[in-house]
Amino acid sequence: MTATVPAPAARRGLDKRGPHKRAFDKKAVVPWLFLAPGLLLALVFKFWPMAKGIWLSFFDVRPFLGDRWVGLDNYTRVLTDHRFQDAIGHTLILGIGQSVGAILLGFALALLLEGQARSLKILRTAVFLPAVTATAVVGELWRLMYYPTSDGLLNSGLHLLGLGPVQFLDNPNIALYSTMVMGIWIWAPYNMVILLAGLAGVDRSLYEAAAMDGVSLWQRLRYITIPAIRPALVIVLTLATIRGLRVFTEVYVLTGGGPAGSTDVWITRAYTLGFTRNDIGGASAASVVLLCVTLLLTVTINYLRKRGDAR
Amino acid sequence: MRDHRRRRRPAALLVATALAFGTAACGSGSGSASSDDPNTLEVWTRSDPDSAATYDRVFAAFTKKTGIKIDYQPVINFDQQLQSRASTKDLPDVMINDTALMGSYQSQGLLKPIDPASITGGDQITDKSWSSTVGIDGKHYGVPYSRQAMTLMIRTDWLKKLGLEVPTTWQEMLSVAKAFATEDPDGDGKADTYGIVAPGSAQNGYAAWWSSSFLWQGGAKLIEPDGKGRYTPAMDSAAAVNTVTWMKDNLFCGEKGVLQPGAITAVTSTATNFQDGNAGMYMTGPYNITTFDGTLGKDKYEVVPAPAGPAGGDVLAEGENVYLGARTGKDKQERALAAFLVSPEGQKIAMTSVDGHQPVVRIPVNSTLDAAKVRDDARWGVVQKAYEDASQQFPNAPSFAPIKQDTADALNSIFTYCGGDVRSQLGELNDTLAGDLKDQDLLK
Repeated sequence: MTATVPAPAARRGLDKRGPHKRAFDKKAVVPWLFLAPGLLLALVFKFWPMAKGIWLSFFDVRPFLGDRWVGLDNYTRVLTDHRFQDAIGHTLILGIGQSVGAILLGFALALLLEGQARSLKILRTAVFLPAVTATAVVGELWRLMYYPTSDGLLNSGLHLLGLGPVQFLDNPNIALYSTMVMGIWIWAPYNMVILLAGLAGVDRSLYEAAAMDGVSLWQRLRYITIPAIRPALVIVLTLATIRGLRVFTEVYVLTGGGPAGSTDVWITRAYTLGFTRNDIGGASAASVVLLCVTLLLTVTINYLRKRGDAR
Repeated sequence: MRDHRRRRRPAALLVATALAFGTAACGSGSGSASSDDPNTLEVWTRSDPDSAATYDRVFAAFTKKTGIKIDYQPVINFDQQLQSRASTKDLPDVMINDTALMGSYQSQGLLKPIDPASITGGDQITDKSWSSTVGIDGKHYGVPYSRQAMTLMIRTDWLKKLGLEVPTTWQEMLSVAKAFATEDPDGDGKADTYGIVAPGSAQNGYAAWWSSSFLWQGGAKLIEPDGKGRYTPAMDSAAAVNTVTWMKDNLFCGEKGVLQPGAITAVTSTATNFQDGNAGMYMTGPYNITTFDGTLGKDKYEVVPAPAGPAGGDVLAEGENVYLGARTGKDKQERALAAFLVSPEGQKIAMTSVDGHQPVVRIPVNSTLDAAKVRDDARWGVVQKAYEDASQQFPNAPSFAPIKQDTADALNSIFTYCGGDVRSQLGELNDTLAGDLKDQDLLK
């Protein structure tokens, strides 16, 4: 394994360069050597498990007795399971809601907090905190905030307004949206940072020219800011899409998929299948389906972006 | 020349790093170095460092007595680790883990059958305990090690303040719960107390776990054996419908405050209202006694038998078994360890707490021991009596995990939607359970 990584490059160098091979040889090898640790890590901890996961999805996994080939059985079982079908709906609602919400809020925060002033720097750091806090901790915090009696932070606020305690997490019609709000809170600052970087690159002279022309705030946003930060927006959108589809921790720590499966998303379902029902084959199949969907979406976004760039 | 060397140094470093990773990757799968030594047993328990300290003492005593060394591995995510070891075909020699997992392990071929007569001192284990290690083919696949049964933990100071008695029936329990919720037993003038703590989430099957005592008390069963190694699902019985309806109408959809807020999404780690002092009753296992003594205070609560339902007072019994890994070839040493673990000496060490570490045997399986005496705590007598006289285990001969999870999903859903029709929802659950049994070729 260690020897094979640099090999192709070395051989190519040898073929093309002929008599000067020694010097060029090294030049071809060195970048690969520098890449080697990263590649190795990716190989061992990413690509190998991924390949193994795809492989296992075709088996009834029995580690000790030997796996049994079942073809596409795991896939049909997962795709026809009504709980997985429900989970698709929840994943889409949660993923889209969370992504759009976090991008809008992130954009608003970026616009508000753009600038060089020291106070803004402090504020930006403070706003960024949710993104660096462990999701499990955030989940516990929000559980407390969502506490379903008037002792809970949010419910005590509602109580002051004379509104009854809301069962944020225990009402199956609300629980998914409560989870979404927490997701937006976590991810908005993350998007903010990327968008801030985008905003920093906007040509100031355009703003000045626009100000001279007397455009409205909305026009300035629509015709200058948004087009200028499109690359950043695409990154944010791609990341948010992937994150939205594989949302797990937020749901797991807040509701565990409950009540009555109303917040069960694709990955919590796969997790339950794999680790509490011990059906590794089925869980692998579910994960592969998600991988394909994610891949497809990412490629689509990229395609749309390229088409947009060309225009 | 210098140029040359400069270039070579990072390359050498990289190769070394790569080699290190390569060896690490290859090394991680194989067993420990000592696994070939016939006089060393590799033992796994599902333990955190706290209980591992108690196991350390047990194994030290065993080594001292027999000269057989123990390579002890406390593992927290036991099943994931065991699966990866199983794929290397090299299992730990001895494992101590939940009784409910037996069928799952046996169906995966991970366990060695055990003849009770071959375990020295095995005759000191009651038939009831031995019967809980019988697999689907009638052979024993584990040695009972520790047992426990659920009991009701109740705030005696609250009872006294409100002039109430310890409840002995569901109805009495419900009245007490309502009184705890509405009559301000903590005397702070606020309506911030609750009757009963329930971990009602479907996560990890908690809803099924907590409800099972009620189901037994109502005369219901999850699945029923036909005596010939086959099972039928039994959650559409009248007893099950009545029990679940009672729980739904009176507990989850009943008056406010009967259960703690958020019961429907609570798991045991978040259902802390009893130890936080704002809920008065909690039906749970005796491992919580140590916690409650510390957080709530020994003088504030009592351990009492669970209130009886229409079909009696049976509660859920659980525990740990000693399992012997398949194909390990150290039978004699393994049986010696199992015999020591269930002997009065081995059980006593595991039942006592040194330096505040959690004991690992709750109710001894060795019938010559008395939990209350060994621990010098009468409350453990209540637990032992509940286990011996009025308890049922989960059926563990089939692979139980899917059955528990599906039951939990269904119960959580029934308890969430108060307007639903219990009978038809349990009918659906029954079909799902039939599917689970069919997957295992166990459906009658």
